[in-house]
Amino acid sequence: MARLGSERLQGHVTPDRLLAYLLIAPTIAVLLALTIYPLIYSIKVSFQSNSGTATLQNFTRLLTDQFFLSALSHTFVYAAIALTVEFLLGLGLALLLDSQIRARNVWRTLLLVPMMLPPVVVGVVWRLMLNSNFGAVNGTLKSFGVNTDALTWTASPKLAMASVIIADVWQWTPFMFLILLAGLQAIPREPYEAALTDGSSAWQTFQHVTLPLLKPAILIALLLRTMDLLRVFDHIFILTEGGPGLATETLGLYIYRTAFRFSNFGYAAAMSFVLLIITNIISAGYIRLLQTRET
Amino acid sequence: MRLVFVIIAVIGLAVSSCQRSGTQDTRTLTLAINSGVEGDALKQAAKDYEQQTGIRINIAEFPYANLFEKELIDLNARTGAYDLIMLDDPWFPKFASLNVLTDLTPLLQKRGKSGPDDDFVATSIALGREPYQTGALYALPYVGNSQLFFYRKDLFQKHNLKEPLTWDDVLAAAKTISENEASGAPGGGKVYGYVMRAAQGNAAVADFMPIFWAFGGEMFDASGQPTVNTPEGIAALKFMIELGKYSPPGYASFNADEVGAHLLQGTAAMSINWPAWISSFSDPSKSKVTGRMEFGQLPAAKSPGRAEIGNWLIAIPRDAKNIEAAMDFLLWATDGAQMKLSAQRGNPPTRKSLFTDPELVAKFPSYPAQLRSLESSRPRPRTPLWNEVENAFGIYLSKANSGELTAEDAMNQANAEIKRIIDRSK
Repeated sequence: MARLGSERLQGHVTPDRLLAYLLIAPTIAVLLALTIYPLIYSIKVSFQSNSGTATLQNFTRLLTDQFFLSALSHTFVYAAIALTVEFLLGLGLALLLDSQIRARNVWRTLLLVPMMLPPVVVGVVWRLMLNSNFGAVNGTLKSFGVNTDALTWTASPKLAMASVIIADVWQWTPFMFLILLAGLQAIPREPYEAALTDGSSAWQTFQHVTLPLLKPAILIALLLRTMDLLRVFDHIFILTEGGPGLATETLGLYIYRTAFRFSNFGYAAAMSFVLLIITNIISAGYIRLLQTRET
Repeated sequence: MRLVFVIIAVIGLAVSSCQRSGTQDTRTLTLAINSGVEGDALKQAAKDYEQQTGIRINIAEFPYANLFEKELIDLNARTGAYDLIMLDDPWFPKFASLNVLTDLTPLLQKRGKSGPDDDFVATSIALGREPYQTGALYALPYVGNSQLFFYRKDLFQKHNLKEPLTWDDVLAAAKTISENEASGAPGGGKVYGYVMRAAQGNAAVADFMPIFWAFGGEMFDASGQPTVNTPEGIAALKFMIELGKYSPPGYASFNADEVGAHLLQGTAAMSINWPAWISSFSDPSKSKVTGRMEFGQLPAAKSPGRAEIGNWLIAIPRDAKNIEAAMDFLLWATDGAQMKLSAQRGNPPTRKSLFTDPELVAKFPSYPAQLRSLESSRPRPRTPLWNEVENAFGIYLSKANSGELTAEDAMNQANAEIKRIIDRSK
């Protein structure tokens, strides 16, 4: 920094430095073109009516739009439930596969498979499996003698949300697991040895040694998943398209519909901004939690 | 420093090659088509045309869900990327309202024709005009789909049921079949009397409109205000829910695939469906009920039964780079000889002469029924806001069918929401 400052003061630009600037220039240009420009453009669009005049209408409509409010609440319900289940399952699996169990590497590899599938494929697979008449889920339940008449999964207003959450949990628990496992393996052995010497129980060790030391990994896993869950789109689009009625319509779906089906880009941009702000506030909360630990 | 020159040279080259690809050859056409049986026929035709004329044809193929947004964005941005676009007829009012299509009449006149061929089915050619039926011509119809009423004639004979001409007949037959065919399906399972699509959006609306119209419902009054919550409208929805009791559980999330599967597996006896499914019923590898399905007219109630029309149109964007060559291709692809080839590939035609063509009728015995259905069909309400209106309407239909709302509440809320959509656009 000091060198750079003195150069600037002297007004010297060496050929080397010029070359460096030139070399990074394309990257910066691409960055500007692909992220900064669209961001600014979409801010502009969100303050425009369909005919292009400046307006606040897109933002005031948010407050009275039933579809938006229901999409927002569905997004929160979806994210909260999926996050909790994925975290608990992921943590359980990570603890299990961090210990010495048989064929550990095979399990680890198998667990990662769902994550590698495109969400669209996951959506199609679950749509077939959850089909209430021909699907594998009801078929299996039937063979155990369960009456599946009421289990219409994606067609029932109550079960539809559960259906899309199940698919999300199936696909993304491995992601939680992966980060938490990495976190577990980064914990040094010494604290455990100390706890053992002090005669603490397994639960006490978990509570006082594992959890605090795993906190950064937990927070990062939660942060990444939360951001992802709030903008969920693909597998819901395939599984239920937001239905029945509005039962599984999240903000991502409503924004897509508004922009590309109803060609109301201003309103879609305004909703995207609300989503961006919400995501940012939640993320900032996580990051603050991360920092309090470090200081 | 030498490196700097190399970089500049590379950038310069890239820029100049971009410019070169920007200039267009007048012997090249670009078509935006639907990936599916409709688009495939046009793709084949394009290949033949290339060989005959030497004109190069580029095909941009998109799945149905993306085709509309692709075309809308390109036409609106006036990029001139496409010389011809395929469009589903409910999208037409939107394109027409944006004034992004070429008026075809002057191009026809230049070729010595006063207007489109009389051979086109009136309800099909009307779709390409703005205003509907009477206005200027912006598109020609290529695929002549309209709904048909599918029913299992073997089951109707078995239970002494008469041909379903009214919705009351349908309900009575659905009840009889559901009650008496608890293990009558080819696989041993239950045969449901009826199967419908009631997933929110297009599916629920498409299956509801023929009932709604037959019960005397109208979506908009003469001044463009929504009127779905009239007593007729509410009665139609109540009827749909009643009929749903004889539909397989979960029908509130069914789309075309689920309905098709039930019919082909022999687990449902009646349905409103599109002609694209007809050929599957004569294919034993797909159908367990080969030769047992009949294709009739939409049932009546207070008003005569009318099908919803769903034609594929072809239009020339206003900013197309090659309008004259595009018009030549459009006329060639929609003339009798080419459309016959398309029909043989599985697309219902839009020309009367082809629906009565002996060779085609021999191959597609349902053609007379299809022509009757098409000639008496109705378009979806013509508004540039259709996508939004259909979405809102479909949500409430789906809510009523899944038991979340009563028919009255669903129709009242739908009406209020459609009104908000219309008011917002003013």
